Order: sequence, then structure tokens, then C-alpha cells
Amino acid sequence: MNTLNRKDLLKLGALAGGAAVVGGPAAAADAARALLAAESGNLQVLDWAGYGNDGGQAMFAQYVKEYPKNKPQFTYMTNEADALAKIQAGLKPDLFRPYVGWVQYFATSGLVQPWDTSLISNFKHLNPFMVKAGQYGGKQYGIPDDWGLDAILYRSDKVKPKSNSWSLLYDERYKGKIAWYDDPVENFTIVGLLRGYKDPWNQSDAELESAKNFLISKKHLVRTIWASETDLDQQFASGDIWIALAWPNDWVQMKAKKLPVVYMRPKEKPIAWVGMFMLLAGTPRPHLAHAYVDAWSSAKSGKWLEDNYGYGHANLLAKPSSSDLLKALQLTNPRAVTLPYAYLDRNVPRRAVYAKAWDEVKAA
Amino acid sequence: MTPALLGLPVGWLAVFFLAPIGIVAAYSVNVLALPPSTPGFTLGAWHDFIHSGVYLGLFWKSVKMSLIVSALVVLVAFPLAYYLALSGTKRKYILLLVLIAPFLTSYLLRVLAWKVILGDQGVVNTFLFWTGIRAAGHPISALLYSRFAVMLVLGYVWLPFVALPIFVSLESLDTRLLEAASDLGATRRQAFRRVTLPLSLPGVVAAFLFVFIPTVGEFVTPSLVGGTSGYMYGNQIVDLFGTGFPDWETGSVLALFLLGVIAALTVVFARFIQRDVAT
Repeated sequence: MNTLNRKDLLKLGALAGGAAVVGGPAAAADAARALLAAESGNLQVLDWAGYGNDGGQAMFAQYVKEYPKNKPQFTYMTNEADALAKIQAGLKPDLFRPYVGWVQYFATSGLVQPWDTSLISNFKHLNPFMVKAGQYGGKQYGIPDDWGLDAILYRSDKVKPKSNSWSLLYDERYKGKIAWYDDPVENFTIVGLLRGYKDPWNQSDAELESAKNFLISKKHLVRTIWASETDLDQQFASGDIWIALAWPNDWVQMKAKKLPVVYMRPKEKPIAWVGMFMLLAGTPRPHLAHAYVDAWSSAKSGKWLEDNYGYGHANLLAKPSSSDLLKALQLTNPRAVTLPYAYLDRNVPRRAVYAKAWDEVKAA
Repeated sequence: MTPALLGLPVGWLAVFFLAPIGIVAAYSVNVLALPPSTPGFTLGAWHDFIHSGVYLGLFWKSVKMSLIVSALVVLVAFPLAYYLALSGTKRKYILLLVLIAPFLTSYLLRVLAWKVILGDQGVVNTFLFWTGIRAAGHPISALLYSRFAVMLVLGYVWLPFVALPIFVSLESLDTRLLEAASDLGATRRQAFRRVTLPLSLPGVVAAFLFVFIPTVGEFVTPSLVGGTSGYMYGNQIVDLFGTGFPDWETGSVLALFLLGVIAALTVVFARFIQRDVAT
């Protein structure tokens, strides 16, 4: 088993330090590369669709350039539960990307190990608030990169909201034109925000039961519950859907299709998410994984992500070309993902209970 | 020699069928468990399932949908197979090829094509707008992302599977029996009811099962064209294994229950067919 343990780090430090004394910085870099060269095979990445060789190449181009013999090989995940199921079923990725609400779960699961941030040269440029959100027990389990909002996307030529509110997802006037997102926590949290629950991420049994009954009573308004962003975009573009819980990328995609769309910021506040790269325990390619995350964390990759996907990036030096996006996501604001602008997604102690209730909503 | 010859298929069955079922069974009683749960035998998930109106309700909904699809497809396929097998046309194998031609394209593609046909801006609604039957901007939304869409697409996808066994059954029919019936004064309708139909029944039952068994646990088609109302039992199993929060214990219970019901139905139908053939 090859983990990035203390001994390993000392070895890397000693090699690099010794080489630096004897041969200068160039020799130190060579020594570090020697350790990296000892790791063989393709880097195994478990990531979301759009972030691999299916369009996301620009974000790890630097890594491929430096390690052409260890190109990333992708397996795609549709959500964190899917990733967990794949790992449990025997998939052995070197790294994967759950979102911020799952950091604690995975950190305590024994499936992941902390990163050595000294091996990530771009780490110092990453948003400190998001960096902190990736920590558990004082260790850096998650490296933040992409971030965005869960909010409401709607067709402005078809839909006239009574107010900027999550309640648009349950508006009887638009029966059959609404899409929800297939995520238990998200749906119950939104109901919790609407109803002013004390802690929407940790609802009591009574609150959860009431929220479940509310969702069941509103399900007849919903045409689809989307799990794939591609499906949502296709449904929205074809006019089958007018209102959806969506991500910034969907807004960018629909605008590119010249559809009149608004990405609404609900008065109850949107929910923000931050993608966190996590390093699998026992990975045989820990240094390559660090190099891959370093490439993803660069300002160049960040700008590309913002310009092409409409998501924010944790690198504070990354700035998008579009002023619309800058304004909508408040990309210049390092605290845009938290109060008073948005609720940052967080650990859900009773995730399994939420999931069970959501299953009942779908099956009802 | 026979045991040696049987070794490979039996081994195959044991490794790729019985062992996976054993593993699923172990998950269903928590002998195997996903972390952070700790393994330990319990029938809790089975108890919850049996007392859950939600899962059994969804199962019954899926059974009803599959029964309707299977019955309708058999009704549509029977005349087609009858014509091909008994009309005496020389082009029957060409026509049969045409019938199964959709199989030359991918399953996914065939299902996705229906989205183009049934969508709000799809072929059907556009035609209705064009003819003035529906006002522009008021499509029939129930055509897609509905229970109807799931049943329509499933029927389309499985039609050839139904037509083939019925065709084989009718083609192997001894036509001298029909001549005898005619000689004995039976009308064509009587000959069909008392000779053709009973003798083709094993094929019909087999065809019905060919559709019913896979569709009752179907999840791809409902997830593509089903929307919220077309959600089926198979989707629930998939979701329990990988959406929201993995619950392999309950997912395994649902999967085993489906397997058990299908196995029981197959045994019943197999006996029915054997009895029918024997008589």
C-alpha cells in the first residue's frame, strides 16, 4: 500500500532538500520528479461528467503536458452516493470529487487521506474560506476548486414569478413545466428554507415528515426529476421544462442557445456548493494526484472553467471574461458562498434518513 | 461424459448467477454491509419492506404497467405473426426481418428517438399544431415524461420479442388440423378458436413472459421518458443502490423480492405451458 505518509514526505523533502543544497533548485525539482516517476500507470480519476476527456481537458492540460505517460483515466460519477457505491464495489480511483457537504462523511469513513498542501503550488491562491471548508480535524481532506450555486433557472418569456423565491418550484400555475433535482438533501433543505426551519440540514423527524408530505403533495406539478445535467439542458432547450433547480452552467448553456432565461437568486438565499478533490487512502499514485490537483487549481484552469462552464473557481486570481457571470456569482467576493449571500452546503448528520424520505417522495 | 459437459455451464451459472444472488442476499440481511454500518444479521430491512406501503405500492404499479404492456403487445403482435406464418406469403422472412429491423440499432437510440417524437415540440405535437387540432403553444404534455410514454416505448421496444415466439409457434402448426376442422364443418372462426389458438397458446404465453419479466424491473426507459409519474420499481432499486445515500440493504431486499416473484411466475407459467402441450 502506497500512502502519502510522514516517512514518504520526509523522503521527498530530504531528497529535494539535499539536491537543492548540492545542485540548486533545479536539482530539487529533479529529485521531486524522480519520486513522481516512480509512480506508474494512468492516474485514476473519479469525477463528474464534463470534467474529464469529455470537454474538461483544458483544466488538467498542464498535468498531461508534464506527465504524458500517466494521463488521467476517468470514471464518471453522477453524485456522491454513486461515487461511494462505485468505490465500495471495488473501483480504485486515486482521487475523486465529492462536494463540501460530504467532506466530513468521507474524512471519517477511512476511505480517504489528507492532502499534503505543500505539494500543491497553487494552494496559496485558493480561497481561504473554501480551504477551511475542506478541512476536518485540522487536516486538509478536501482541496476546493469548482464552486457554484443551486438556484432557480426559468424562462423569462413564459414564467412570471410572484417573487424571487424557492416557492417557484411549487407554483401551481406551471404544472408540468417544472423540474426538480434528484437529491434528497437539496429538496428537503429547500422546503426547510422556505418554511424557516431552525436547521434545514438537520431537520427533526416531525419537520422531515411534514416536508416529505409537502413534496408529495407538489409532485404532480413536476414533469421530471433530473439527475443528469445533460438531460436537464436538453429538456429546457426543447421547451419541455420552463422552471428548474439548476446550476450556473445550465444558465450559461441556455443563454448560449439564445433562450430568454433568468438565473434567480431566491430571497431565502441560494445554496452554494464547493467541489472538493479528495485523495483515496492507499492510492499508489499520491504524488501524481497532487500534481493533477495542482493543475486544476491554477488561475488559468480557473478562468477557463469560469468562461466555459459558468462555475466559480477557488483560485482567487481567476477572473472570467463575462461581467454577467462575475455579477451573478459575485466572483470577486471571496465570501460569496456563505452568509449573507448564500448558505454553504454542509454535513448532514442524518443523510440516510433524508434519503429514505426522498425515496418515498419519488415512489409515492 | 455428461457431468464433464455440464461442468462449464453449471460453473458459469454458479459464478455469475448464484454467487451474485448470494451476495445480494447477504446484503439484504446485513451480513454484508457498507461502512459505516457494521455487519450483523438482521431481518430489519425485510420487515420494513413488508410493512412499507410505499415499496409494495410501487411494485404493484410496475406490475400493472407491465401487465398492460405485455397484454397489448401480444394483442398487436398476434395478428402480425399470424399473417406472417399462415398467410402463405412468399415474403414472410423478409417481412419478419423488417419487423425485427429496429434491433439493428441500439436500445438507447430507439428510446431516445421517442423523445423527439413525443416532446412538446416533437413530431406529434408539431403535427397537431399544423393541423389546428391543438392551438400552438398548447401541446399535449402527457405524451412524454408520463406513464403513457413508458408503456408506449416499452411496447415498441419489446414487440419483436413477442412476435417471434408466436410466429414460431404458429409456423410449426400442423396445417392438416385446420383442413380437418374445415372438412368437419368448422367455420374459419371456429377453427381459429378451437385449433389455432389453443395450439399457439404456449408461444403466446412464452411471448407474454418475454415482455413481462424484463419490463416489470425496467429502469432505463422510465428514467429516460417516464418523468415523475413513470417512475417504476426498477428505478427505486437503482436509486437505493446509488442515489442520495446508498442503502444496499433495502435495495437488496427489493431486488430479491422482484427475483422471487418473477421466479414464481415463471414456474407457474412453465407448468401451464407443459400441461397445455401434454394435453
